[in-house]
Amino acid sequence: MDMEFPDAAELEWLEANASYPDEEEDDLEFDDDFLQQPPSPSGSEQITSQPDPKPTLSLPPKPSLPKPQLPINSRKRFLPDDPESLSDDRNAVVITEEKRSRVEDNDEDWLRYSPPKQPEEEEPMVVEQELEEEPEEKILAKYALEIDGDCTPVTGLDGERVYAKICRVEDERVKKLEVKGYSTGLIQEPVRVLMQRVERDQFTKALEASSEDLSEANVPIGAVVTEQLWVDKYAPSSFTELLSDEQTNRQVLMWLKQWDSCVFGVEIKSTTDDVLSSLKRHSLAVQHPRRSSKSSFGNSREPRIDNEKAHNDLHPENSDSDRIKDLWDKKHRKGGPPEQKILLLCGPPGLGKTTLAHVAAQHCGYRVVEINASDDRSSASIEAKIHDVVQMNSVNADSKPKCLVIDEIDGALNDGKGAVEVILKLVSAERKLRAGKENEPEGGNAGKKSSKKRHHKTSLLRPVICICNDLYAPALRPLRQVARVHIFVQPTVSRVVNRLKYICNRERVKTSSIALTALAEYTDCDIRSCLNTLQFLNKKKETLNVLELSSQVVGRKDATRSAFDIWKEILQKRKVKQTKKSFNCFSSVSNDFETLHSLISHRGDYDLIFDGIHENILQLHYTDPVMQKTVQCSDILGCSDIFHQYTMRTQHLSLQVYQSPLAMSIHGLVAQIGKPIIEWPKSFQRYRTMSIEKKEILHSWKNKIPPSISRHLSTKSFVEDLISPFLHILSPSTLKPVALHLLSEKEKAGLAQLVNTMVSYATTYKNIKSDPSLVMHHGASDVSMLALDPPIGEFINFKGYDSCHIVLASAVKVFLVHEAEKQKILQGSSNLHSPPTGAERQDVLRCENSSTMSKASVSSDKTIHFRDPSRQKHYDLPSTSSQNRRSAGGTTASGKVGLPERKKKPFADSRSFFDRFRKPSDKTPQDNDHAKLKQKLEERDSRPLLFKFNEGYTNAVKRPVRIREFLK
Amino acid sequence: MLWVDKYRPKTLDKVIVHQDVAQNLRKLVSEGDCPHFLFYGPSGSGKKTLIMALLRQIFGPSADKVKVENKIWKVDAGTRTIDVELTTLSSTHHVELNPSDAGFQDRYVVQEIIKEMAKNRPIDTKGKKGFKVLVLNEVDKLSREAQHSLRRTMEKYSASCRLILCSNSSSKVTEAVRSRCLNVRINAPMEEEIVSVLEFIAIKEGLQFPQGFAARIVEKSNRNLRRAVLTFESCRVQQYPFTNNQTIPPMDWEQYVSEIASDIMKEQSPKRLFEVRGKLYELLTNCIPPEIILKRLLFELLKKLDSELKHEVSNWAAHYEHRMRLGQKAIFHLEAFVAKFMSIYKSFLISTFG
Repeated sequence: MDMEFPDAAELEWLEANASYPDEEEDDLEFDDDFLQQPPSPSGSEQITSQPDPKPTLSLPPKPSLPKPQLPINSRKRFLPDDPESLSDDRNAVVITEEKRSRVEDNDEDWLRYSPPKQPEEEEPMVVEQELEEEPEEKILAKYALEIDGDCTPVTGLDGERVYAKICRVEDERVKKLEVKGYSTGLIQEPVRVLMQRVERDQFTKALEASSEDLSEANVPIGAVVTEQLWVDKYAPSSFTELLSDEQTNRQVLMWLKQWDSCVFGVEIKSTTDDVLSSLKRHSLAVQHPRRSSKSSFGNSREPRIDNEKAHNDLHPENSDSDRIKDLWDKKHRKGGPPEQKILLLCGPPGLGKTTLAHVAAQHCGYRVVEINASDDRSSASIEAKIHDVVQMNSVNADSKPKCLVIDEIDGALNDGKGAVEVILKLVSAERKLRAGKENEPEGGNAGKKSSKKRHHKTSLLRPVICICNDLYAPALRPLRQVARVHIFVQPTVSRVVNRLKYICNRERVKTSSIALTALAEYTDCDIRSCLNTLQFLNKKKETLNVLELSSQVVGRKDATRSAFDIWKEILQKRKVKQTKKSFNCFSSVSNDFETLHSLISHRGDYDLIFDGIHENILQLHYTDPVMQKTVQCSDILGCSDIFHQYTMRTQHLSLQVYQSPLAMSIHGLVAQIGKPIIEWPKSFQRYRTMSIEKKEILHSWKNKIPPSISRHLSTKSFVEDLISPFLHILSPSTLKPVALHLLSEKEKAGLAQLVNTMVSYATTYKNIKSDPSLVMHHGASDVSMLALDPPIGEFINFKGYDSCHIVLASAVKVFLVHEAEKQKILQGSSNLHSPPTGAERQDVLRCENSSTMSKASVSSDKTIHFRDPSRQKHYDLPSTSSQNRRSAGGTTASGKVGLPERKKKPFADSRSFFDRFRKPSDKTPQDNDHAKLKQKLEERDSRPLLFKFNEGYTNAVKRPVRIREFLK
Repeated sequence: MLWVDKYRPKTLDKVIVHQDVAQNLRKLVSEGDCPHFLFYGPSGSGKKTLIMALLRQIFGPSADKVKVENKIWKVDAGTRTIDVELTTLSSTHHVELNPSDAGFQDRYVVQEIIKEMAKNRPIDTKGKKGFKVLVLNEVDKLSREAQHSLRRTMEKYSASCRLILCSNSSSKVTEAVRSRCLNVRINAPMEEEIVSVLEFIAIKEGLQFPQGFAARIVEKSNRNLRRAVLTFESCRVQQYPFTNNQTIPPMDWEQYVSEIASDIMKEQSPKRLFEVRGKLYELLTNCIPPEIILKRLLFELLKKLDSELKHEVSNWAAHYEHRMRLGQKAIFHLEAFVAKFMSIYKSFLISTFG
């Protein structure tokens, strides 16, 4: 294997660098400067914004900046260069924390509960896990006045806000719980608190046991006691706090909302006026069945026990609300559950997929049931679970409807499939049901009930959210088609940084936004790993250091990306990297190198990666005047193939590591800034399956050909030498579609030869439907046409190639089929009946048919042997063949006609043959019987019979017969 | 029945081409000494025909009575049993098979069959020819492991069975196996020999066969006897009385390759390369071996090429064919060759025409 490729890549790289030597020098200077004054403008901004200027980096800060351009530059380096996020970030930095969150709120005002409330609410909720109190609810809305007492805001999908009335539930409820707790002896505190306490106790115990010097350990214990993982602590608990892309968030929420009509029996999606008016009517008129689902999904703890009771009582009697529900259901049956019943969220880890699913589901009033990778995933158990969640209505009326979240559905391949299968089964059953239901007449209440019953058996009644990392995992393929897919993209760095800063402030950790930005970039905006790192550093009493980031981040996530991402990385040059290049050329190149390397080797599926490169590389637009790059690339591809083959053969799988540099050198050669159009490598797979198919055809053909011929041919020689001339031979131009007796002697001989060839090579014509793809080069436009039976024609039917083969007229084909069929049967029968005396057999046949052939023509020479019967057939079969042609029955018909006819002859023949033996013994008794049956019967009755049985002698009945009886 | 089969010599006496080889084989058989054989030579040169004739010489006409068997071999490979399905062709005296059909399990097949043959060793009443013959086709496609396992079995069971190996090139057969066999090189028949064969057929068929036409067929046939006879017959079918300038139907795939070649000559760019890739896929899909495609492509390109480039291009073709045989995905290497050719040709054009 020659190693020119990496060299070439290196050269390329050197070339690239050589073009800006002075820039590089500048960069180095610049770098030095930067090292001396790390707190760049954002740091200083922080200083202005916050009362106490804290040095965030390990190096001393220098507020005065000698170069005016520097800050912008360095800033750019750490922030994505779109101006929006920049300004966003600035804003966020300048304003204080509460304001910041308000800004965020404003972004999402369409879903806002009550903007000013939000920040206050946040604290108690997060820190103490207290339930929120509503202090200022009444002030807010236009329609709130119509409701006396407290109310809760509910925002529709279109941003319209309505207010549902609530009573002062919270205190009552708490009290009630407590009362209940005291009276029934159940726990008074939430389980969570208890669990925490237990954990804390255990932890302190463990600490006490392990640590010798308690005095030192005391401080950490204090910290530990109150501290939980920041990731959990600051996990978004409401929809507005989500960090992930808003577009996705909204879509997910929208999807969940579509379920409302199905799950809660309330139409949410309709026009605002409609909803508002109906709601108003509802809330005014029907005051007490307050479990109107509106409120129940808006705020979780509302439904009071008395209300529940009322509901339970009302339920069987078809209460008002139920009636309304039914009415709405009927009205909006079409707008029931969404078209795609499954939501598939995918994206790299740490972007908040799970969080989004949980928060969104909670927001919409569901109770989340999560099935995780760690749970039992066998098909049976998961089916039971899903059925539980999806189809059962909660008996315990207090609880909310459930929403199923299947996390890491792509995780385990063989077991994970269980879940996918079950879901697919549910979905398909649902489809069928719906199809059936459309045929059903629209029934009233009763109809609805019955359909509901059936729903219980099969359908999905609750939303299912699946979460995966790799959308293109093979197990998910079927699911992808039925599910609604949302792909998570990284949140913008600024968002993540804002969040991190907020948390850092809360935790009183000193950081700078540069460091945080660097951290966020380093972890690919994986906020989980950011937080873990920060917490870890905080524990160690270290500060985040930009320069030692890579050593400080504890767990670099081992992310496997999808194949598409990798191809994109390989074939596309990163823009950001270029700006970095001006900074520090060498390190950025090596960085680039490293990231690509880790990316490819994490994925590992080199075969697929190179297939993809091969598929897409020629579609790229790179400058290549004499195609040198292309040559290099294809050489590299070839190299990787040889490499792959070698490692597979020798099973030195560890050598696979060296595949990724090959891919990287391709990156160096052809990567462009423009976004490549990447396709999944299909053509190689297609080729593989097609060629296997064709090989199969060849094999079966070869097996059909009698061994005396096929033994001389390999499949290779079939395609290489045989097929083209064979097709010519099979379609002679001289063959005319006329009746057999009109042919000259020579033509008949030719025909016989042709039929003989067809039989010996086991080919025939067959009726095929005129499928445009199968019409091949024949070009004929018959509705049903005859094609060669092993489809040999396909083998020369290349795309964009016109072969000059003559096509026989279909009448000729029919005729040929017929003849071949006859020939085959003839051969078969002669082989079957009397293999050793084949010649004699033919002889007999010919005699019987009173053919014109002389008996002497029988000889061992095969040519004559074969020609004779066919010719003889020509004489006796014109009628049937013409008949056949008229009926246009094709193979089957002609087979049927031919078969019995041929079959008959040997049969008749054998009978006469047998008769020869039978005659002497049979004749006399037969004559006797026929002539004198009646007489004998009479006589036999009159005389005494004498039976004498002699073993082994004869089975005839003996009795005395007089001579005169014979003479009569 | 095609003329190829009809006029195939059944015995060593009737052989027209390779009469010297046939002579030697006959002598070997008559002396009662029969070693292992390795027949190698290009396709269409008459290896199989000679082997069949040889078998007939050894065992008499009963060797022609063959039957096809599709057998499943249960092979005990250490911890598990493997089922290998393979079609065999056998008479009472010999077994013929294509072990490479079994893929990477070919070695089990070879061992198993040889062992089985050794077990029920035929005992002749006269006490002679107490061996069976195993004919292995396409030995060059046999995996290395199978060939390694072959060499031991060849020695161990040599009393009960003889091997006749048949392959296109001896270089793919390991040294060890080769040294255990009598190597018989079957050359592609000379053009005069092919002409004589065609004339023989013409006489038998009672055809008028002009000399010039015969020469043209032979030239087209690439010294492949099978192809020559088939072409001859197809010409006969197309047009009879023959004329000297009658069109000889080309092989379709060769025609297609020459189309590809002219495509390449017309334009050299990645885009064109992509089109060529599609056509190469077409050929490969239709089971045409990549080596042959490469060879033919080179042939077609050389026809149109400037003489100073011929050497270089041939060199690269050899280079890429070597890599193709080492590797697995033929398309990569075929394409690499095409790219290389394009690059060479393009730079040549630029340097000469500016």
